Amino acid sequence: MLADFHNHSCLSPCASLEMSPRFIAEEAAIAGIGMLALTDHNSARNTPAFATACQKVGVIPLCGLEITTAEECHVLALFDAPEPALEMGKWVWNALPDITLNLDRFGDQPVVDEQENIITMIDRLLTSAIQHSLSEVQDETHRRGGLFIPAHINRPSFSVESQLGFLPPGKYDAIEVLAPEANKYQQRYPDIPVITSSDAHAPDQIAKAPFYLETTDTTISAIRKALRKLCPTK
Amino acid sequence: MNIKDMARTCQWETLLEGADANAITSAYTSDLLSDVMANAHDADLLITIQAHNNTVAVASLAGIKAIVVCNDRTVPDDTLASAQKEQIAVYRTQTNQFETSCAVGKLLQS
Repeated sequence: MLADFHNHSCLSPCASLEMSPRFIAEEAAIAGIGMLALTDHNSARNTPAFATACQKVGVIPLCGLEITTAEECHVLALFDAPEPALEMGKWVWNALPDITLNLDRFGDQPVVDEQENIITMIDRLLTSAIQHSLSEVQDETHRRGGLFIPAHINRPSFSVESQLGFLPPGKYDAIEVLAPEANKYQQRYPDIPVITSSDAHAPDQIAKAPFYLETTDTTISAIRKALRKLCPTK
Repeated sequence: MNIKDMARTCQWETLLEGADANAITSAYTSDLLSDVMANAHDADLLITIQAHNNTVAVASLAGIKAIVVCNDRTVPDDTLASAQKEQIAVYRTQTNQFETSCAVGKLLQS
């Protein structure tokens, strides 16, 4: 099936307000995506609406967050239900600096339901770096049963490579690479699954860079195994 | 100026002692390790808030002899272990990168 592990809803201050969880799920279903993740910056508060919306259109939901580590690397933490994602979100929130969202510089951060009604507005800026390091976020994600995937590692900003020079040894379930260089990175890291993702922030970016994942079982451990099959050495 | 004298003068906390012979003649200030890797080749000292293990690896590649971690950031044990292996001195200061850079600049120019 086609999988897309990195998408932002209206909760992310840099994403379009049109990107309700329901809209993303419906558009991705039309585009033929079978497994879809919601990964807002440092928050999973829109994943309950997202999971419901995905189930309605026959898409398998992954509930996650794109966490900004202390080193300012973006990493994905993915779970197979909203609850563990929300719990991970509380751990992240407790380590997130209390900086008020400046609406002159950023967009709103609405938490919405599956009918696109606003439940609440988050007024703490969600994109800041949390106090936990890359390895601490990795260990916490795994301890809570999630998948840990450094995001867009070949991007010139907020990536493992931009912040740390190169990918340090770690327990990565996959690494996300910007599409044109995916093959090059899979050759460079033959033991780590390399995926592409849309990192959609606006409607026209939905389902633009999915990858193919061969799995029928949708538990985290089955997805982890299916990801391993992407490695040329497996 | 040798690194031990510099650390003493600047009142840095010593996390991993440098060798007496380590003379500092230039420094580089950056928190982006890809930038350090590309541009810090003439530097002996790295001024940064990045205390990740990769800081040591990148410093080693660039030929840097000592790292000073600013803003009193925590330095993980694995970073210090790598630094010991690479024979790179590690110091910590409560001052920020600008203040630390100014202090080092003053010493290097005097």
